[in-house]
Parts: sequence; C-alpha cells; structure tokens
Amino acid sequence: MAGFAKTGGDMSGVNLQGLVKAYGAVQVVHGIDLDVQEKEFVVLVGPSGCGKSTTLRMIAGLEEISDGDLTIDGRHVNRVAPKDRDVAMVFQNYALYPHLNVAENIAFGLRIRKTPKDDIAQQVQEVGGILGLTDYLERRPADLSGGQRQRVAMGRAIVRRPKVFLFDEPLSNLDAKLRTQMRAEIKRLHKRLGVTSIYVTHDQVEAMTLADRIVVMHDGRIEQIGTPMELFLNPANTFVAGFLGAPPMNMITAQIVAGDQGPVAEFGGQRIVLQPLPSLQNAVGKTVTVGIRPEFAKAVDDSQPDRVSIEVDLIETLGSEALVHATLQGAPFVIRTDTVGQMEALGRIGGFTVDAHLVKVFDGETGLALPGQVLNQ
Amino acid sequence: MTGLPDTPSAAGSGRKAREVRKPGRLQRITEHLRREWQIYAMLLPTVLWMVIFLYKPMYGLQIAFKDYSVFRGIANSPWIGLEHFETLFNNDQFLRALKNTIIMSAYGLLFGFPVPILLALMFNEVLSQTFKKSAQTIVYLPHFISSVIIAGIVMTAFSPSAGIVNTALGWFGLEPVYFLTKPEWFRPIFIGTGIWQEAGFQSIVYLAAIAGVSPTLYESAVVDGASRWQMMWKITIPSILPTIIIMLIIRIGNILEISFEMVILLYQPATYETADVVNTFIYRQGLQGGQYDFAAAAGLFNAVVAFVLVMTANTISKRYSRTSLW
Repeated sequence: MAGFAKTGGDMSGVNLQGLVKAYGAVQVVHGIDLDVQEKEFVVLVGPSGCGKSTTLRMIAGLEEISDGDLTIDGRHVNRVAPKDRDVAMVFQNYALYPHLNVAENIAFGLRIRKTPKDDIAQQVQEVGGILGLTDYLERRPADLSGGQRQRVAMGRAIVRRPKVFLFDEPLSNLDAKLRTQMRAEIKRLHKRLGVTSIYVTHDQVEAMTLADRIVVMHDGRIEQIGTPMELFLNPANTFVAGFLGAPPMNMITAQIVAGDQGPVAEFGGQRIVLQPLPSLQNAVGKTVTVGIRPEFAKAVDDSQPDRVSIEVDLIETLGSEALVHATLQGAPFVIRTDTVGQMEALGRIGGFTVDAHLVKVFDGETGLALPGQVLNQ
Repeated sequence: MTGLPDTPSAAGSGRKAREVRKPGRLQRITEHLRREWQIYAMLLPTVLWMVIFLYKPMYGLQIAFKDYSVFRGIANSPWIGLEHFETLFNNDQFLRALKNTIIMSAYGLLFGFPVPILLALMFNEVLSQTFKKSAQTIVYLPHFISSVIIAGIVMTAFSPSAGIVNTALGWFGLEPVYFLTKPEWFRPIFIGTGIWQEAGFQSIVYLAAIAGVSPTLYESAVVDGASRWQMMWKITIPSILPTIIIMLIIRIGNILEISFEMVILLYQPATYETADVVNTFIYRQGLQGGQYDFAAAAGLFNAVVAFVLVMTANTISKRYSRTSLW
C-alpha cells in the first residue's frame, strides 16, 4: 500500500458548467459555473436554502442533475452512479452505522468493494493512526464524543483514497471549541493528503479559515468566487460584503457629491472622503451604499475635526480588542478597536475616521461594487 | 453560648428550617399530579381496564389450589394443594395439548415470525408508491376480518368438493384431499392462515422501524458503492434489529398463547391429535366440562411458563444485544 501521505498522481479537479437543479417547476440552483482545481480546497458558503448542499449532492450523485455538465477528473459524470465517481462524502450528522464499531465503520466502503481483508486491516490501522482513533477502534459510535464521531466519518472518507472529498457542513453539530479544533484538523489533513476538497458550510468563519477559494452562494446563484482575502477586501456586492466578516461590513446609504479633492459620500450632514477614482467621480449625484469594515474604521473622540459622528450604544470587550456598537443614521454601526492601553479612551469615543482607500462604494440600486476599487492584500 | 450556628440548638433549628423548605415526597407527588393531571386522565381508562380484567380475575387463580365448588364459592372451597397440577401432568390429553402447543408455536415462530420482516423489507424497496399502497392494503386487509369469516374462507378454500385448492389439484389430475379432517394437514393450514391474516399488519411495526433509519446512512452507503441488496443486509436489517428482538421477546412470551379462536373454529375431533392446544384443552375442561379448578391450574401453568420464557428471553437479549423490554 502506498500510504496516505499525499495519494498523488491520480488526483483531479471538478468542473461544473451551467449546473441546474429543479424540482418540477421550481428551480433551486440556477446554472452554476465553477472550476475546482486539483488539490484545491474550495468552500461553498451561503445562508440556509442558497443551494450549496444541493450543489454538493449533485457532485456526489445523490441528486440528479437537471441541466448542465459535471466533470470529475475530466470525465463527464452526469449519468455516472455515485460509487463510480470516486468521491467520498462526510455528512453533517456523521452517518455512522450504529451497529458497527469504529474499525468496521471505517472499513465499510472497502468491504463493499471487496478489498482483501489484510489490506482493510492495514488501511484501517493507518487511518486510525492519522486521525488519533487507534484506541477507539473497537468502540461503537454511541460510545464516542462528537469530535471522535466526526473523525470516524472522515476516516471512512479517507480510507477509500478518493479523487475528491465532499464535506456537507461536517462541523455544525459540534460545540464552538470542538469546531475550532476540528477545523484545524481538517486543514492539516488536507495539507497532508492533498486531495481536492469541496466543503459546504453556512459559517463564514469556517469558510475564511479553511478555503483556498470561497464560493459565496445566494438564492441558487454564485455571488462571487475568490480567495478569502479577496472576498474580504474586495466584495463584489453588498451581499458578499454583508455575509463575510464578523461583524459584517457596515453599510451607509449616501449621496456622492463633488468635493474639493475628489468625490465625497454625504449623508445626514456628514461626509466621508472617497478615492478619486473615475467610477466614483462619474457617480456624483447618485445614491450609493458606502461600506466600511469594522476593522477599518478608527474610533476617535469628539475633538477630531474630520470625524464622522456616531452615538455609542454599547462596548463589548473581547480581551485584546473591543466591539463598539453605535448608531449612525438610525442604523447600527460597529467598530473593532484595540483595548490594550486604551480602555479609558473607549469611554470617550464620539466618532470615527477612515482612510479613503478602505471605503467600498456600491451602486445604490444594483448593490454591485463600483469598478476600480481594488484593495490589495 | 454565643448563638453561633455550630451550637446544637442552632444547628437543629437550621436543619428544621431546611426540612421545612424542602417539599416532602407526598407533596411533590401531589404537585406533580396537579400539574400533569391531563396525562394521568388519559392513562386512567387503560389502568382501569387492566385492574378490572387482568388484576381482579387473579383473585380467582387460587381455585387452581382448591377443590372449587360453584355453590361454596372461592373463599369457602377447601385447599387441596397441588393436586390439580399432579392430575394435569398425568393427563394424556393435557400433555398432548402441551406438545401440540409447543410444536405449533415453534413452527409459527420459524415460519411466521420472519414473514412480516420480509414484507416490510420488500415494501421498503418498492419504488412505485401506487403499487406499494395497493399491496400494503391487500396484505393488511385480512387482519381486519373476523376470525370466524377467515375460518369460513379457509374451510371453503380447502373444501374437498368446491374448494379452490382441490380444484387446482384436480387440474393436475390429483384426487381431492380432505385437508381439514387429516391431522397431518392441520398444522400447515393453521400456521399458513395465521401468516396470511396477521403478517401484513405485523409488518407495520417493522416499516415504522425502517422509517426511523437515518436516510444519510443510505446516502453514505450509496457513495461508498453499496448496492440495494447490500444496503438491506448491512444497514436496514441491523438498524431494525432492536425492534426485531423486542418483537421476538414478546412472541416468545406468548409461545403458549396459540390463536385459540382459530383452533376452535378449524379443529374437529378427527384432528385433535395435532390440533388440540392448551387453551382449547382449558376451554373444554373448564367451560364445557365444568372443571373450573382444573382448568385454572392449566391456565396458571400457561401463565407461569410465559412469564419464565419472557424473563429468560429478555435477560439473554439484554446481555448479548443490549436490547430489552425493560
């Protein structure tokens, strides 16, 4: 046996072209195009009902594809049975067989494929070692903790050495601490095995921390595809801007007016200076949505002359940093700020300032980011 | 004395204060009953039914140890110890009935117990909902037909003159067989009738158990490459095994409870040799022969055996499969 450290050689990408899923007249996935590269870790993220799990299930072969093309390793697999797609899936509720012990659960797929017994035993031991399950191989799922069960579920997927791993919200049944721990384990495992992985979650923190690329989905469509930092810094629209980031990006409805040195966003008698980009200068007179990340707004006191005034409602101290919850134009506005050596200053916050290049401007009607505003990592 | 809490009087009063605060057992039960009275109200008819029809008659069980006379009543009839039991075990008819009961129960268990499970597994595999519902209705139907009518259908079907079975035998040039008068045919006919009448309805329990199996277990198996046959063997059957065991324990407990009405309706003196069971023996001795005390002894023996069997089956199941009735 070659072992599980980088299965190499026969790994492959997944390509979705115009993938559609319809239940009768109701279409839930509207023609998705996505190219997942070999060894890549792609996360499909979006709110409940956005079609991410359905898309994953179409890739697995558990849902019939209504239209479009799906290729795995360059092979058209629309009509190929799940078992012949060479994919392995990890489910949200682990899908462990309660009557089988850990070793038998891990070996299930191999036994189905009539792998010789000696090979099964060896591979189970090896996977058990990778996932730290060696001491639990004789236990039944009922005797394991949530984290251990999830590891067994992953072991079942790993042992088959598939071309593609599919993860359907595998951590959502775990508590916050265990989720963080398992997140790191999945990331380490991906680095070690290097298998193409598609991971579905509604948790944007999981998406940001795990993904090589994130696919943000909404209402059965892809809103944006990019690396976590690309999406964080340069969201394509207000949906992505609001979905990624914790707390999400602050949104202010404003009018663009011409200032002395370039365009300015004006709202309720207050102003934010914008970048002198052609797209923003051409938008003078238009209503826009101004987006400012809580991390990019700098909290200041009343003495700062060019500040935007806010009314502070609450300060949440998180340790080394704090979240300042305020109101601006009747809408919530959050600032993330450092606390070390500044606890006293927190009580005097009366507004914020922000660098022009850190402000995102979106079209007031379509919600799309106005072109040219690229923030480099 | 400073009045510190560790002085005996202060500690005593402290304990008293705690006792006053903590509600007593009776108070807690009363409070619970007051809060959940609707649930207990719903339970009441069943409890009353059990008390009146199952517990109250137990008082009469004592006649199994008495020389009972209707005129003297239960209380005044003299005790005679285990005399009825001695008579019982020296009675050839009872021993024959006991043997028949055990044989018929064993056959019923062997052939009748797996059928509802197989039916449920087959229904689970049917993809056409219309066919599934029609088939289910057809197999459930005999359960709702009175035993008298079922027996009538069986007698007609096996009739030597116009029965469908003998007609079919005639097509192959075979002579008609008087099935219901031949002792060797009674058991197959009786067990077959029981399966036909009850298997469909009993399959509901297993269908419910199958419905409780998480669909992701099957999806996971599909991705792993399992066929429908493999999924049935490796997921469905092991998943419903606790239900199968529970049903088996109950069935073992009822091993001496052969369908009394059906035997009465189908048997005749010519077939007593294989058809007479403990319950029909009790019926003949007690109600037809007026030997209530002797019949009570036979009935008590029946109940004790059932109790021992169900306890044993439960203990074995608990030890080896972690599944049990209690």
